[in-house]
Amino acid sequence: MRPAGWLAVCILTLCLFALLGCTPEVVREEVVREVEVVVTATPGPGGSAQTGQTSGQAPDPTPGQQTAAATPQPAATTSAAPTTTDATENVYQLGISADMTTTNYWAYLGPDGTIWNLYVLGGSKPSLYSYSAQRYDWVPSLASDFPTPLAEETVGGETLWTTEVPLKQGVKWSDGNEVTAEDFVFTAHTVADLELSGNWPSIVDPEYFDHAEALDSHRLKIYFKQEPGLARWQFGMAFMPIFPRAYWEPIVAEAKQAGEIVEQQKALYAHVPEREPTGGGFGFVKWERGAFAEKELNPDYYFTDSVVAQYANGAYAESKPGAYEFAAYGEPGGDKTLEYTVGPYADSAIYSIYGSQDATVLALKKGDIDFMLNPLGLSRGLQEQIEGEDGLAVIENASDGMRYLSFNFRKEPMGNKAFRQAVATLIDKEFLTSTVLQGVALPMYTTVPEGNRAWYNPDVPLIGKGLSRGERISQAVQLMKDAGFTWETEPRISEDGRFVEQAGEGLKMPNGEPMPAMEILAPSPGYDPLRSTFAIWIERWLNEVGIPVRADLTGFNLIVDKVFTRQDFDMWILGWKLTAYPDYLESFFHSRHSGLEGHNPGGYNNPEFDRLADQLLAETDLEAARQQVFEMQVFLAEDLPYVVLFDTPLVEAFRSGRVDYPYTETWGGLQSASGMPALVHFK
Amino acid sequence: MTNYLIRRVGQMVLTLFLIVTLTFFLVQAQPGDYATFYSLNPDIPAEAREQIKASFGLDKPLWQQYLVHMKNTFTGNFGISFGHYPRPVLEVLAERLPRTVVLFLSATAVSFYVGFFLGKAIAWRRGGVLEYAATISGATLFTAFTPAFALMMIWIFAFKLGWLPVGKFLDPLIWRGAEVSANHVFSYMLATAAVFIVFAFLTLLAARKLGRLGAGRTPFLVIAAGAAVVPMAWAFTGVGYLALDILRHMILPIATLTLISFAGTMLLTRNSMLETMREDYVMAARAKGLPEKVVRDRHAARNALLPVITSLVYSLIFAIDGSVIIEAVFSWPGTGMTLLEAVRSEDLPLVMGSIVFIGLFSLLAHVIVDVLYVYLDPRIRYQ
Repeated sequence: MRPAGWLAVCILTLCLFALLGCTPEVVREEVVREVEVVVTATPGPGGSAQTGQTSGQAPDPTPGQQTAAATPQPAATTSAAPTTTDATENVYQLGISADMTTTNYWAYLGPDGTIWNLYVLGGSKPSLYSYSAQRYDWVPSLASDFPTPLAEETVGGETLWTTEVPLKQGVKWSDGNEVTAEDFVFTAHTVADLELSGNWPSIVDPEYFDHAEALDSHRLKIYFKQEPGLARWQFGMAFMPIFPRAYWEPIVAEAKQAGEIVEQQKALYAHVPEREPTGGGFGFVKWERGAFAEKELNPDYYFTDSVVAQYANGAYAESKPGAYEFAAYGEPGGDKTLEYTVGPYADSAIYSIYGSQDATVLALKKGDIDFMLNPLGLSRGLQEQIEGEDGLAVIENASDGMRYLSFNFRKEPMGNKAFRQAVATLIDKEFLTSTVLQGVALPMYTTVPEGNRAWYNPDVPLIGKGLSRGERISQAVQLMKDAGFTWETEPRISEDGRFVEQAGEGLKMPNGEPMPAMEILAPSPGYDPLRSTFAIWIERWLNEVGIPVRADLTGFNLIVDKVFTRQDFDMWILGWKLTAYPDYLESFFHSRHSGLEGHNPGGYNNPEFDRLADQLLAETDLEAARQQVFEMQVFLAEDLPYVVLFDTPLVEAFRSGRVDYPYTETWGGLQSASGMPALVHFK
Repeated sequence: MTNYLIRRVGQMVLTLFLIVTLTFFLVQAQPGDYATFYSLNPDIPAEAREQIKASFGLDKPLWQQYLVHMKNTFTGNFGISFGHYPRPVLEVLAERLPRTVVLFLSATAVSFYVGFFLGKAIAWRRGGVLEYAATISGATLFTAFTPAFALMMIWIFAFKLGWLPVGKFLDPLIWRGAEVSANHVFSYMLATAAVFIVFAFLTLLAARKLGRLGAGRTPFLVIAAGAAVVPMAWAFTGVGYLALDILRHMILPIATLTLISFAGTMLLTRNSMLETMREDYVMAARAKGLPEKVVRDRHAARNALLPVITSLVYSLIFAIDGSVIIEAVFSWPGTGMTLLEAVRSEDLPLVMGSIVFIGLFSLLAHVIVDVLYVYLDPRIRYQ
């Protein structure tokens, strides 16, 4: 055939493809279900699902009440190649957007603390205690009951604080060895001896942890140098992932021979585990770099068939026939808010890596994956695409973050409380989130999110909430006038109170000096259009009353450098990911953290607040800690070191035609439980 | 020639020096403090940070940092990747390279073949339907917005028709029980391609030496027979099905890259052919009464090949760079995606290592092209 003929054939073929591609989609799935859109916003009481780091990740809390519905999984898709997937296997397929960087759990909680490592590796190590599903109650996991109260004890002439923890019997690693108190002791001492970094110090704090000993195989005693507060013990060390001593002891011993401490750490982090025993529902089996990772069912998982129930009266109950029963937080009875039976129901979990969110969504729509894991959730555009698809469900949950505006207290007028309150009053969050940003963000007022019910104080004053434009300006001007600020020309509001007819001019501070020009550092639109939009509107609203401020939309790194490294700024807008247990209030606002590189770069300094923050750190009683957090929120709402601006809801999607979860309403979304591989069941 | 090569290598080293310098100062010029990125990364142990600080001279003045950086680069020490701590940068790059090379070498070869074939044809029959169709479609595709076009290809062929996979380079369900890693299979594929190319080259060389004995279709039949042996050989390795899976995943990115880029080669070939066709020896060949196909392929096209080959060699070497866009859209984790990830996660050692690595290969490409010129065109002599 002549070239022209070939070309004609090619063009015709392309046209045919395009034509076929544009025809209405053929329904390939036998099971067609309606799209479900579940909107939820409910965190629960208790501690945090995940710290900005990873230690407190909700450990795939355990599964639903339905038993495994073993729908046969389609076999591999390539006819030319022999498949390695049995047709009766249930393979839970998840899509992730970046590769893991390690399979070494020590490194994952050290220098490789990425969310992607967490998704794959999380849940393979037991811990003494964990969070309950949805409500985030603090409940025993490997422990058989709550620990004994902390008590002072003199050991070798030194006064230490001790607690004892009873462990469940019969819990086994996947190699058949029992999980014992020695495993805990080995893990804690390894962290302390090798001075592991990253997330480890927040789990095993060297300033608190002294040593641990196994009283017997199933009774553990932990010694602290000083009385540990909730953050150090109950929400810290009690969540420590426990490593199998039999597997790791020789590796750690070899690492300790590596010379300097940094070389020892490197040697430990560099070890690539092979067939490491797991104590979770799955064991890690394969990592094909850049392509996928796979976890395999642990048939000896101790918690399989455990039944978990939560009651409307706050009670929590967990039992496994013939093995154990546990109840706490009240007498189980009355309405159940949640009940499920622990799996896993999947034989294997595969995490496929996709280069972009678009590709991941196409894979989800095509049926290549059942759930896509992404800490940011779905973008609005992709959400709309999925909502029209059969067999897919979209869920929306409150996320665990906040974006805020903050001030440099060392400079005037930012150090003036009335000025900060006036700024907070002028910011119309509802208008921005609903009108300008079309609902992609939710207004937020408090440093503890409203969704974090156990720790959120509903009586905190919410400055500026629900005011009209005119009321905002009048109130802000009044606040400043009361504090001694003066104008040559005061701002004048239109009769209908909807806009400013005459902007304020000649604003002077209480000391009589003219108000200096100020700058708000905020991320550029390319990095975060939401925060840059807020910055631009804040600039406009402040200028209207005569406050000479300019929004400087710049690189994230530059903001971090100016604010945290050099403390050379007036105001800034950034964000945090928050933990459920709000000890971050101490990190962000205690005056001891106001030095260079500290988390309180604004220099907020309130001795009363500092006292409460210190108390919180040392507090061992949950209810007392709650009261302290409530008080701290009141201080922060009035002093306003942060004007909390907004948060974004977390949107996720899963293949509802194939998989189901015992619950989908959870703070931080299903991704906060790594997609629940041990709970998901198949239709 | 030897003197020329020595001079070129000298120039190459100088240019590499400039690339390293430029990379260093570009990173320095970005917002924030370069030394802070290195030395304050909280994920890296404090003692390790101190070690890194010392080895990169980050506690010293800028000019001293620069000298230390230069020394490290020229001794092959690109540092340790932050994102893959404690793996060296070079190890990360070496891991990603085979995947990019296999995909982009294949795509470049296909694209050049299609472009050369069409360019030759449209130059020979100017003004025909083929010329208009090929030029318009080629130019349209050449100017297409790559990410959108690539996504459209996925949407049609992977999602709507379901013929091909949605990105990635393998199917986890096929690979989950595999005993070998994908990098092994990629390496075998590269080795196979290298052996086959050498075999084909030697066959053609032998045919030329044999004169009349090697004339006609014999060498091509020998090469075809060699090509037939390849799948049989793979069948015995036990990993043939894995290579087949990779090939299946390569179809869509290769097709996309070919459609986007064949027009460049096609137009280059066409222009080169048009110039060659005006030469006296082409007219002489026609006057001798040689068949059109022989005049076109043996006399005109062969001489028009030189600029096309130059372009091809550059493209082949730049294949190690991959394409950030294509790799990201097709979820193909090669060097392009590594660079993108490194930039996103501020893994500066990996960013700088990747750029220097790409620069080094580009310089090598220039030297190779210069040497190749001598082989392809006997008129060229370097002094």
